[in-house]
Amino acid sequence: MAATGTLADRQDAPGRPSPQRTRRPVALLTGSYLVAAVLALPLVFLLIEARGAGASAVAHLIFRPLTGTLLWNTVRLTVVVTAACAVIGTLAAWCVERTDLPGRRALAVLVVVPLAIPDFVVSFGWNSLWIWAQGFRGAVIVMTLAVYPLVYLPVAASLRSADPGQEEVARALGSGRVRTFVRITLGQARGAIAGGCLLVALVLLAEYGAFEILGYQTFTTEIFYEFHSYSFSASCALSLVLVLLGMLVLAADGLVRGRGRVARSGPLTQRVSPPQRLGQARWPVLAAFIALILLALGVPVGAAIYWIVDGLPPVLSGGANVSLLDAAGHTTAYSAAAGLLATVMSFPVAMLAIRHSGRMRHLLERSTYLVLGMPGVVIAFALSYFTERYAAGFGYGTSMLLIACYAIMFFPLALVGVKASLARAPVSLDEVARSLGQRRLAVLGRVTLRLAGPGLVAAFCLVFLSAVTELTATLLLIPTGTQTLATQFWVYETNLSYSQAAPFALVMIIVATLPSIVLGRFFNRTAQAQG
Amino acid sequence: MRDVSVTGLYKAFGTHLVLAGVDLEVPAGSLTAILGPSGSGKTTLLRLMAGFERADAGTITIGDTVVDGPVVYVPPERRRIGYVPQEGSLFPHLTVQANVGFGLPARERRGGAKAAGLLELVGLDGLGQRYPHELSGGQQQRVALARALAIEPAVVLLDEPFASLDAHLRASVRADVQEIFRRAGTTAILVTHDQDEALSTADRVAVLRDGKIAQYAVPEDLYDRPADADLAGFIGDANLLEGVASAGAVKTRLGRLPLDGSGPVPVHEGQVTVLIRPEQIELGPGEDGVPGRVTSYRYHGHDAVLRVQPEDDTAGQQITVRVVGGPHLPPGSPVTLRVRGPVLAWPRD
Repeated sequence: MAATGTLADRQDAPGRPSPQRTRRPVALLTGSYLVAAVLALPLVFLLIEARGAGASAVAHLIFRPLTGTLLWNTVRLTVVVTAACAVIGTLAAWCVERTDLPGRRALAVLVVVPLAIPDFVVSFGWNSLWIWAQGFRGAVIVMTLAVYPLVYLPVAASLRSADPGQEEVARALGSGRVRTFVRITLGQARGAIAGGCLLVALVLLAEYGAFEILGYQTFTTEIFYEFHSYSFSASCALSLVLVLLGMLVLAADGLVRGRGRVARSGPLTQRVSPPQRLGQARWPVLAAFIALILLALGVPVGAAIYWIVDGLPPVLSGGANVSLLDAAGHTTAYSAAAGLLATVMSFPVAMLAIRHSGRMRHLLERSTYLVLGMPGVVIAFALSYFTERYAAGFGYGTSMLLIACYAIMFFPLALVGVKASLARAPVSLDEVARSLGQRRLAVLGRVTLRLAGPGLVAAFCLVFLSAVTELTATLLLIPTGTQTLATQFWVYETNLSYSQAAPFALVMIIVATLPSIVLGRFFNRTAQAQG
Repeated sequence: MRDVSVTGLYKAFGTHLVLAGVDLEVPAGSLTAILGPSGSGKTTLLRLMAGFERADAGTITIGDTVVDGPVVYVPPERRRIGYVPQEGSLFPHLTVQANVGFGLPARERRGGAKAAGLLELVGLDGLGQRYPHELSGGQQQRVALARALAIEPAVVLLDEPFASLDAHLRASVRADVQEIFRRAGTTAILVTHDQDEALSTADRVAVLRDGKIAQYAVPEDLYDRPADADLAGFIGDANLLEGVASAGAVKTRLGRLPLDGSGPVPVHEGQVTVLIRPEQIELGPGEDGVPGRVTSYRYHGHDAVLRVQPEDDTAGQQITVRVVGGPHLPPGSPVTLRVRGPVLAWPRD
């Protein structure tokens, strides 16, 4: 071997596959592109359908007065609820993480639990008790109370891990408490707030059940209606508009997020700052918390109990003899399988995003969020279309298709959790492990997964509880003869048989609460607690 | 105990060339420091040796085995490299004992006798059941070292291992580490930007500049006979003066001085750059020497560093002088400068 040599003549050496010896993460890239392709199926389906209908027909369907109404309804609801969630979620997170609020450990758990209550159960609770809770006003109240934890969770986590020294420096530089909160604390949490708002806005775009009960018309309710009356071209045209809205939301998120990165000192040197004193303000703040929890948690649970205890006699008698236990079993099994599948799917994408950043890879990761803003019914139809068309109906009518549909729908939620967890397993630890003689797979098992484990469980839980409360895709894809808690609840609710619907709502809440408590605990863990 | 040999090593990230043909021979059993300013590519060089990155061209050989070459690449787990990263990077989910035993086969891991022995070697016996976050920075660093030594590595690579320690701790941990390596007879390569650390810890020092090894020598040679004027300024304080050489001596602003003939570049006649270390200059109140006035006085306890403006040239370059003991000289004090012994010079172009 020559002792010297220039770059150029080395490249011509025999056996060199490429000018760069450095290996691209081929397995990760392949996995990620595969996942991205699967996630793109609904959009491809919409485009195929739109092409079948013809451009002029689609344009005709889009440019009619109805679209304007839907646009106005959807946009104003999304804006108002997202803003409300941002304020409530951020303030609640700051109070729990950074102040001496009495009972904040218990509050930290209770404030997350509303995530476990299906949106349509919240709206059922309000609407069945108070007739005025409907339309735009009802939708704002119900959706804010149902989804604000999506902002609370990431903001609380980022406040917990942010450097408290920055706040102290700001105070020392003469900035008051309020100014410090606005300039430093909000700055530290900006990415988390934006991320939470992104989830809220996308979830709102895709929500169906709650709006149906409240009699509020959005794109998604209309798309559902059109699908059910078999006007596919109309629903596809509307879905395309909805996809555009989702892209706008993603773009807005990218703008807010900016290019700023939060620099952190090593995780092991993390200091815990003393909590801010609320002083006399703590009792009103505590009262506000209790009011929030009563409204978000008390009303739906109370309504369910009220209808069980005091309900009218069953409207549907006899025939619908669905066992609560069977439905709960199906719900749990499907949701668990979906949680597992989504977590596994998101692993390569998250790994790529955390460990091998790049422009294309970033775009690939961001694009997967789009699916969250699509109505479940569109995704369900897309899956049945492709299985019928290209897989000879393989899996159609089985639970497999439903599980795959859940995994696609809630993939972005899994991605958020897996990314957060992989960030806890820095690449330098992998390198040390490899230098100590461990092969890649051993490193994955002994280091990466061990450190990321709690976060992976959190990702699983997030998908699990979303799948438990999913309605529209389930109604379409559920195997014949089976019922889940959500579908059976829906059957009773739409027939106004509240006393029969209520037990299903209650069991649904119970099944989904356990994972939400796990979630709350994961996002609350400090770096220290890892030992 | 193996030697490490690097030849013609190139590495670029995108269009940015970081290593531009590095050649380095590290003898078995020695402690070699790679010294360079931040961004000079020294960490990249270490990561290539460890196998975390692949070189674009060139070869790395450990013992008789080529580990990175045009057609060969040995992954890090098969290189038997003990790697001690900058922050220690202990596994936070494992106890100290499990950290140290991480690289051992499962059979040797059980019982923990070997890990306990290594902890004793680094002076941490009895702390095996603690978790990393319960240790101080210096202790974490030692655990990282014990973990690297556990696999009986052919070579130990240390990436700025003392940078995160405070000054007081740094000196003691450094001395301990040096002692541990001497006893174990391990080949060790240490990356640092701290010239003090490199000169005092290593047997040999390689200075990395613009992606190449600018000089590779024992610490004394590096300081006394730097390869060029630029290096002289990088390693320690230096007065670099213009001068004209003739007949074994050089004429400078500080008088006609004898030339050191043992320099890396032979100098005979003409324009030269002269190196005068601050401790080569004597201060005297007497008539003998170049008169000047003190412009600043920095007191360090063991010595003091002065800046002196020669009187013949009040706008010109100031001279740095290091004195041991002696009176406090406030700015404005008149002094005379006298150079001791022969000086080093390089031809100027």
